[in-house]
Amino acid sequence: MQQLNKCMHNTLITIAGLAMLAFSVFAVSNFAWAGEKPSFAPDVPHPTNGSTECVQPEDEMKKNHMNYILHQRDETMHNGIRTETYSLKKCINCHVPKNTTARFGDDEHFCSSCHNFTGVSIDCFQCHMDRPMGEKPLGKSPHNAQISKPVPTKVAGTSIENTEGASNNE
Amino acid sequence: MSNSEVNISRRSFVEKSATAAAALSIAPGVFLHTVAEAKPAEQAVTSAVRWGMLIDTTKCASGCTACVSACNTENGIASHNRPRTDQQWIRKVTLRDKQTKHEISLPMMCQHCESPPCVDVCPTGASFKRKDGIVLVDRHICIGCRYCMMACPYKARSFAHETVDNTVDYVPRGKGTVESCTLCVHRVDEGGTPACVEACAEAEHGAMIFGDIKNPESEISRQLVEHGGKQIRADLGLNTGVRYRGI
Ligand code: SF4
Ligand code: SF4
Repeated sequence: MQQLNKCMHNTLITIAGLAMLAFSVFAVSNFAWAGEKPSFAPDVPHPTNGSTECVQPEDEMKKNHMNYILHQRDETMHNGIRTETYSLKKCINCHVPKNTTARFGDDEHFCSSCHNFTGVSIDCFQCHMDRPMGEKPLGKSPHNAQISKPVPTKVAGTSIENTEGASNNE
Repeated sequence: MSNSEVNISRRSFVEKSATAAAALSIAPGVFLHTVAEAKPAEQAVTSAVRWGMLIDTTKCASGCTACVSACNTENGIASHNRPRTDQQWIRKVTLRDKQTKHEISLPMMCQHCESPPCVDVCPTGASFKRKDGIVLVDRHICIGCRYCMMACPYKARSFAHETVDNTVDYVPRGKGTVESCTLCVHRVDEGGTPACVEACAEAEHGAMIFGDIKNPESEISRQLVEHGGKQIRADLGLNTGVRYRGI
């Protein structure tokens, strides 16, 4: 009997321990930005533009940011809806400092700080820019006043001469 | 595309009546311009509009590649010095009449077909046509099978063989997917004009007109009424959004 009691006691301690651990993980996710972050939690960089509020409450964004972005992706791609609020570009422009050297994959990058920690891999940045695009001199068109222009390192020079047509069909 | 492949169909086209043209133009060369209103960002595109282009090959200068350079700059397309596999959204093509030796220079890009073969063959739905007629590749869905490249009669599409590291934030592009002229959809959605058209005007050739071919008031529609606009390979019945004069 005593043996059994001791066994139960141990089990209870284990359960209590697990509960505490679960609570602390919960606490990390809730208080990470409130300065009460335990040492093992990821350092998620704050937005650098002074804004303190995201487009949705922080908890909502932690859980569901991917759904907002996914929805917006299809609306933009297929219907030409270009509202900024839930666009990936807006996330980047707000959360990643303009002249940062941190690239996606580095712990210092907003997205990868948490994605590295949770081990969730994403492929957004195989195509999308992982940092805000720098301002470039504006062109003549009024349109260019809204969109800054890139300066490409190299422009396809070989193919343009080729009136026979370079065949990109391999 | 070899010259012989661009065997322009000489099928008879219904010539627009001169009286209709006279009714619409105020004076020779003077047109009522309707300034394209930028659509509100939250508004979806509709089929009330069909974007198109009219290219006057008699104004297109042989040897000029302003449109090609502008496209590359705008969309962040860089060469890997491998012409056979470099991405190419627009290219200059020279057509030579074997009999008369007369040469025509023209820019060739995605023709934004009304019945696009690239969309028909795509197994994933990545190749699609927007309601306003712009044909695009949704790279999120594209698996890089390249069926669409084989289906396109105009060789308008390219495959990204290499990691793209100089993308611009308004034209995300990446390795392993197919891409082609987007008609500068990021500009068009904000009431802008495609980069090539702008560059052609800046180079003082003015060979390209962009606009809504469903709006009878637009310059492109007026010019189409007056001069007509031929499709390359009209025999395929694709009803292209890009039309040519002087071919
Ligand atoms: S020109 Fe080619 S890529 Fe463009 S819509 Fe037609 S078939 Fe598709
Ligand atoms: S390469 Fe992409 S867009 Fe082209 S047919 Fe295949 S899945 Fe569709």
